[in-house]
Amino acid sequence: MGDKIDLLQGTLEILILKSVSLGALHGYGILLRIQQISQGRLQIPQGSFYIALYRMEHKGLVKGEWGESENNRRAKFYTLTAAGRKQLKKETEKWAEMTDVVGSILSATGEA
Amino acid sequence: MNLFAPIRSWWRAIAHRSRADEDVAAELQFHIDAHTEHLIASGLSPAEAARRAKIEFGRVDVQKEKYRAAIGLRPFHEIGGDLRYGLRSLWRNPSVSLAAILSLALGIGATSAMFNVIYSTLLHPFPYADADRIVNPSLIDEKQPLVPTWFALEPAQYESFIKAQSIDSVLGFLVQGQQETGQQFPEDVSVAFVTPNMNDFLGVPAMLGRGMRLSDGKQDVIVLGYKYWQRRFGGDRAVIGHTLNLDNTVFTIIGVMPPRFTFTETVGNVDAYIPWNAKRAPALLPWIKLRRGVTPEAADADFQPYLNRFKQESPMHFPKEFHVDVQPIAAPYMHRTGRTLALLFVSVVFLLLIGCANCSVLLLARGEARQHELSIRSAIGAGRFRLIRQLLIESFAIAFAGAALGTLLAYWLARLPLKLMPGVFPQEATITMNWPVLGFSIALALLTGVLFGLAPALRFSRPDVSHMMQTRSRTISASGGRSLNLLIGAQIALTFILMGVAAAAITGFMRITSMNLGYDPHHVGFLGIPLKQAPTKNREATASYIARLRDTIAAVPGVLSVGVASSGIPPSQPFGGFGTPASFELLGHTADSAQQALVQLVSPEYFATLKIPLLSGRLWTRDENRQGDFVAVVNQTFVQRYLADRNPVGQQLRTDAVKDDGRPSSMASPNSTDWRQILGVVADHRNNGLERPVAPAIYVPYTTFMWNATQLFIRTAAPPETMLQPLRRAIHVFNPEQRIGGNHIGTLEDSLSVQTIWIQQHTFSVLFSFFGALALFLSLFGIASTIFFATARRQNELGIRMALGARRGHIMWTVSRSTLLTISVGILAGLLANLYLRGLLQKWMPGNNHSPWLLLPVVAVLILGSAVSCLLPAVRAAHADPMATLRSE
Repeated sequence: MGDKIDLLQGTLEILILKSVSLGALHGYGILLRIQQISQGRLQIPQGSFYIALYRMEHKGLVKGEWGESENNRRAKFYTLTAAGRKQLKKETEKWAEMTDVVGSILSATGEA
Repeated sequence: MNLFAPIRSWWRAIAHRSRADEDVAAELQFHIDAHTEHLIASGLSPAEAARRAKIEFGRVDVQKEKYRAAIGLRPFHEIGGDLRYGLRSLWRNPSVSLAAILSLALGIGATSAMFNVIYSTLLHPFPYADADRIVNPSLIDEKQPLVPTWFALEPAQYESFIKAQSIDSVLGFLVQGQQETGQQFPEDVSVAFVTPNMNDFLGVPAMLGRGMRLSDGKQDVIVLGYKYWQRRFGGDRAVIGHTLNLDNTVFTIIGVMPPRFTFTETVGNVDAYIPWNAKRAPALLPWIKLRRGVTPEAADADFQPYLNRFKQESPMHFPKEFHVDVQPIAAPYMHRTGRTLALLFVSVVFLLLIGCANCSVLLLARGEARQHELSIRSAIGAGRFRLIRQLLIESFAIAFAGAALGTLLAYWLARLPLKLMPGVFPQEATITMNWPVLGFSIALALLTGVLFGLAPALRFSRPDVSHMMQTRSRTISASGGRSLNLLIGAQIALTFILMGVAAAAITGFMRITSMNLGYDPHHVGFLGIPLKQAPTKNREATASYIARLRDTIAAVPGVLSVGVASSGIPPSQPFGGFGTPASFELLGHTADSAQQALVQLVSPEYFATLKIPLLSGRLWTRDENRQGDFVAVVNQTFVQRYLADRNPVGQQLRTDAVKDDGRPSSMASPNSTDWRQILGVVADHRNNGLERPVAPAIYVPYTTFMWNATQLFIRTAAPPETMLQPLRRAIHVFNPEQRIGGNHIGTLEDSLSVQTIWIQQHTFSVLFSFFGALALFLSLFGIASTIFFATARRQNELGIRMALGARRGHIMWTVSRSTLLTISVGILAGLLANLYLRGLLQKWMPGNNHSPWLLLPVVAVLILGSAVSCLLPAVRAAHADPMATLRSE
């Protein structure tokens, strides 16, 4: 398990937003999807995952609704709200800019 | 971000708390289950999968708490927990919590109630528009500078006066008794002739019908006062448009004034209002509304030339030498009650301080006793902030409950002074709550709670756990003990001051009630007799009418004796006229200083009726009484002051007080100002108010100076009130047109109890006793609970001491020593403060006994009380079984 990456501070929220934007998911589903897409390379602490999720619901970025899961159990499904969609767009742009800047700094070669 | 989302989510978490909790639990359980299934699918055994899933997730209930933290509700739930815990711990010591709450409540209640009384009765008593700009037409007679008199204006003067610079508007009025016939007895109706701008000037609309209009000036219309409307018409709303027959004029009723409008009893109680015109009344008293920004002093200067001119035109309306001194309409009340209320206010502030101090004592003592509990909480990980918050919440709960109870109390207490002191406040004053003051008291209470709740909190929340856990069995820590002692000492000192004042007030009141009046007020009633103003001014006819009326009354069964007196009702005199001492001359005796005496207009039977004994000489005969001239009787004080060196009987005196002043209603005997022989000397009786010494008095026959009213004093076998009907019947037979003033009979005993000083002393003694007792109770309770907590904390130590052979007396001494010392210091401080304040109080409560010996019983009560409140818990501690206390650890 040594090849797993610890989550960068503050990125959990954008990951949740992204996963929910692809379709309604319950909490466990979101976790699975993130791991799936990252092909198991991200280590997400389950405790802080729910805290983040609740905080986002509290802020109105996602909306939870009770429904039936794939194996016919009651589960809470989260969808993106309008505010969440805006937030995702903003955060994605910020992220791209950030990686761009950090990337360009890191890829800089010594120019005399 | 959505602004409403957080609110919605909080609402859900708070209002539907159990639902929200269930949802979180269900969701997390679903997660664990799903994860377990996942792990089983990946090949683990079900048991192992479930175990792994649970371990990875952590505890579900911890997650629930995290959920609340995530949405920012954690402090809310924690405070809820603190509150529940706090209330439970307060409940565990209900007497202490209750005492703390009561201390605060009483302090707050009394203070805001008293301030409300002051505000509603002195600062803002009248329901009139711009009441603060309305002034009485008062002026100071240079010869009688103590009591201001009012000036009246004739119609032409009125017209020119209202154009004065500093005047905004003027309401002219004159109050007169009128007679309504057609009832069983002729009814006395007190009528105010008012300029028709009354309703505009005072800004009070009629409650029923309409108020007066300028066009009403010449009309025969009448507006009724509320009380008169209730009394005469039974509150019939259909009364508008009906008529009322007063002094043979038919008036149409156009309106009824609201209950709070009584035209102020400064000018007597008014039953109804009639538009003034020159035919109805010859002169007017002006109520003046000053222009905005004009001070009374500026107005005085403005009015002086006007009045100087008016004095030339109508000298009898003005004193010889005077200066204008207009006063706000509230000033007479301020003069009468201001000091009383100020003193009471100071005392309730003391009470508030004692209440706060007591609350602090209880909180501090309680905090000391909880050291152990706090240190344990701190040891198992409670943060300092958490502990402070816990203690703060508890003291807030106490402060809040105290403030709430105090507010309720304030409502009730604010009505008390009006009940105790009827007649000294403007009738229109109603007590309403004064929110700023209530706010202040509540803020003070909360501050007390926080401050003294915080003190132990800050100290005990220091993280020195091991030390604090060990201090369990030690004595009270030094700093806590010091502030406790300081508070207890201050409390005792303040209580002492209050009790000292209470003792002075009580003895002062007792002195007044047991005062030798010099006359016997028991079963003596008096009737006011308005007289028809005879245009012919036939003095003999009026004198004989009064004499025959007196004889008629004297013949009524149950009447023992009847006397006539036109001047004043004992024990005091009316304002103005015959109420003020007048100068006189003694034949063959040049005075080196001003000689003054009260001149009393009476019939010879007056002395027997009031049981005032004749000391030497004789009274005047009925014949001399009819004539009125050449005779006089003086009282003992007069003899002592002016005739000490000779035999008073046979001396000659004269006075201008009975000189014909030319007023339309005045009638004087032909030689009224001639020399009068002193026929006899009567014993002194209180004639100048209860608080002042007996004034020298000259009695002359009432026939020497008469006007349109007199009084009959009637000694009856039964209480005088029960005689009203037979008396009225007799008067009716004598003259069907004769009415009696106010349609009621007054009694001399009632007159005593409406004396300002009587009321003042009564109020002082009742309220100060109440305050003193409260303060004592609070302080003693504070002392008792301090010692109770101290012994509770030292139970272990005391157990060891007793096991080692300490005697009970020693144990009791050990636990109460420091408090007893504090109390002694407090009593000493209180004693010094009382002695120091004595001079001040003497000035403010002149009727009181300020002998320092009075403090002795107070000290005794205090020492006894404190000793008992110290000893009770101490005895309890000393009687505890040492083995049981040791084992309980």
